[in-house]
Amino acid sequence: MASGKSKVTAPDRIETDLAIKVENAHYEYLAGNVVALSGVNLEVKRGELLGIIGQNGSGKTTLTKLLNRLLKPTSGNVYVNGLLTTNRSVQEMSAHIGYVFQNPNHQLFARTVKDELEFGPRNIGVDDSEIDVRVNDAIEFFGLESYIEEHPYRVSFPVRKLVGIASVLTMKPSIVILDEPSTGQDHQTTRVINSLMRRLAEDGTTVICVSHDMPLLADVVERVVVMRNTEVIADASPREVFADGDLMLTTNLQAPQITEISLATVTKRGGPIALTAQELADDIVRRVANRGTK
Amino acid sequence: MSMTNVMPTSFIPRQSMIHRIHPVTKMVWVLVYIVLAFTTQNIFVLYGMALFAIGLAILGGVFRPLLKAAYLIIPVGSSLISLQVLAPAVEQPWTPIAELGPVTLYGDGLYYALVLLGRIVSSMLLTLVMVMTTHPSDLFLAFSKLKVPYTFNFMLAMTLQLIPVFQREVGVVLSAQKSRGMKGSGFSAVLPSFVPVFVGAIERVQQLSVSLESRGFGSSGIKTSYRRVVSRVQDYVYAIAGALGMIGLIVYSILQPRLWNLSEIVVFAPETVLVTFTISVSIFVLVILGATFLSFRRT
Amino acid sequence: MTEPILSFRNVTYTYPGTEEPALSDINLEVMPGEYVGIVGLNGAGKTTLGLCVNGVVPAMLGGTRTGEVVVSELDVDEYPVREMAKIVGMVFDNPEFQMSQITCAEEVALGLENAGVDVDTMTESVAQALELVGLGGFQERSPLGLSGGQQQRLAIAAVLAMKPQVLIMDEPTSNLDPTGKQEVFGLASTLNQDYGMTVIVIEHEVEVLADFADRIIVMDKGKVVMNDTPEKIFGQVDALNKLGLRVPEATELANILEKKGLWQGPKPIRTGEAVSRVTEMMGGA
Repeated sequence: MASGKSKVTAPDRIETDLAIKVENAHYEYLAGNVVALSGVNLEVKRGELLGIIGQNGSGKTTLTKLLNRLLKPTSGNVYVNGLLTTNRSVQEMSAHIGYVFQNPNHQLFARTVKDELEFGPRNIGVDDSEIDVRVNDAIEFFGLESYIEEHPYRVSFPVRKLVGIASVLTMKPSIVILDEPSTGQDHQTTRVINSLMRRLAEDGTTVICVSHDMPLLADVVERVVVMRNTEVIADASPREVFADGDLMLTTNLQAPQITEISLATVTKRGGPIALTAQELADDIVRRVANRGTK
Repeated sequence: MSMTNVMPTSFIPRQSMIHRIHPVTKMVWVLVYIVLAFTTQNIFVLYGMALFAIGLAILGGVFRPLLKAAYLIIPVGSSLISLQVLAPAVEQPWTPIAELGPVTLYGDGLYYALVLLGRIVSSMLLTLVMVMTTHPSDLFLAFSKLKVPYTFNFMLAMTLQLIPVFQREVGVVLSAQKSRGMKGSGFSAVLPSFVPVFVGAIERVQQLSVSLESRGFGSSGIKTSYRRVVSRVQDYVYAIAGALGMIGLIVYSILQPRLWNLSEIVVFAPETVLVTFTISVSIFVLVILGATFLSFRRT
Repeated sequence: MTEPILSFRNVTYTYPGTEEPALSDINLEVMPGEYVGIVGLNGAGKTTLGLCVNGVVPAMLGGTRTGEVVVSELDVDEYPVREMAKIVGMVFDNPEFQMSQITCAEEVALGLENAGVDVDTMTESVAQALELVGLGGFQERSPLGLSGGQQQRLAIAAVLAMKPQVLIMDEPTSNLDPTGKQEVFGLASTLNQDYGMTVIVIEHEVEVLADFADRIIVMDKGKVVMNDTPEKIFGQVDALNKLGLRVPEATELANILEKKGLWQGPKPIRTGEAVSRVTEMMGGA
């Protein structure tokens, strides 16, 4: 072990099963006058479907930017697929971790949707035949057949949102971050995006979803990281997080309506903390049936 | 998504006598300075004006910010002096005053460089002081009092507001494209960077127009202004004093042309020129090196 | 019998350069003091409907509009938008895109300046409007330095300064975090309940509309397909789902239980009602 005054440099690479390992990350700017992140630790396994929630200013955006190397931690280490982000560029990391920006308009610039989908993989050096395969897969997966030759700004906003996501997925990153995927979307598009996230996780991609949409998170993610005031203050399953009344109060967040109903009814009587209407209904049906058989 | 409370024109709020002067008076002074600076070739007048501007900055409590904003004088000044001493932009014949190896240095060049620099410095310093001591809204109020059309004034004010917004937007777009593996600068980076910003700008303007229209904007008829600035006697006095000073100096220059251009009276010693030249070139080279170095450092 | 404050009669509108009408034969009435929620998929015509009320459609956006839109007894076709702006205020979904001035006070005063109001009255109105939205004392601050929720409240203040009778909000919280959403919805209900303002909110957040709205209008492909109380609208769970729309989760729950024969009567749209009914079902205790 190093002794005396020498600083231990973090290893450039670590052997790990974890998709993401954040060690005591701090982020400050304006010469230390503003702290955006304090001592955050996070471990994400491959294939996990994780949600990050918190008010604006809680640090959640800063955290995700540390993950894809748009930012470098002021202190602490971030390992993505075992690689230390500090020693690499955003472009290098983009082959490992994709970031879908909240507003697709921030990404789209090409002449056609097809060109847009090819941009990412081309940048990271994927060869042409493989690019064709990936683009065709994406077109099929997202149902973009009728839009291939369209200008990205001529298609409707919900389709543009899908093109934005698709254009990151053609890079086949093993980890994907989606920033507020359902904001401003109607229910139909939100459902498409929900099922997309589930499919990705099933295929083994690690999915991180930053969102304010509680019902979306309740429906889709397996784990929720709650941020407040530059810190992670909770890291548990959606059920545990939403059931924690004090947590919801301090973070000024509200559990999905169905969970609130559940907590006030069946949960008190030994039932589950329901995340969906179907779940709560099933439990009620069971109880009423049991009552009948007593 | 919010930015810190930035005033778009680097206005520095203070309670000072300069701050209280009417914005139109300040604009008169800017005009006076520019006219004088670009008609005279008397380095004493020019640097006197610069010193006066610094005095106003001290009175206005913006001396340190002024220094920070005026750092550009260093690269500009050093390059001007270096180049002019080598090849003066005045009529031939040039008076060689010293030799530095194979290179001939000309005294006329030094004088002329100082004139050019003096013009830039004096007008820049005064404009900076005026801008730093005037609330941007009052500035635009002054424009409208000078009969600048309402819509033009509005567009100008809005553009100023939107500069930091677009800087931010460009940053976001660059981040998005870098996150898709786009490498650095060069022509291939231009399109993916600017199309989204451009589209965003159009969207913003469209939505803003509808919002403004919905509040009755731009309709013909009497418009009042929320912002008010008091006109005091002092404001008129200062404005008139400035204008008279300018007219006086110009009349004097017509009557005494030799005092307007002192290049024949002020003659520099060869050593002065040599030393000034060497220092300027060194500073200039350092600036170039520094800038190149900084542009290669990655975040 | 009070007169409706807003009425649409046989309104059809087509955007310039398009074939399909954005609005088809719209007929509806809003009574003074009502809180009306408008739901529908993106592209259903909700925003277009809102823009017809203050005349931006068709005066500013072009296209052809037939039928009649009357607000507070004024026919929208006979008055320029600047006149309608004195009775109808409109707030849009992107708070930042509504900002253009250097200080908050000037943003709020913009409409008043264009209406030629005198300085003293303006100063008073600006102060009042800022107080009302919870931004008292923010006069000299820069709008771009505010949070999303604050910016949206500022946009509302800018509209309130004109003392409108009708406030239309088009997806006002879609770009806000939960705190911002609370601030804006809270303000909307205060304006409606404490000040009697007619409020029309276009939204996807059905739980909030269920809590506050007196009436819900459902739009689909340019038409008004449902127009009734929240209880009656959200109760039609399957019909709304077919249109691609959500209902409050409480209502969804009751719908599932109804299908299993365990629910009788009207379906709840609010948490409180759902909790009491479910507790009853489980035998009280």
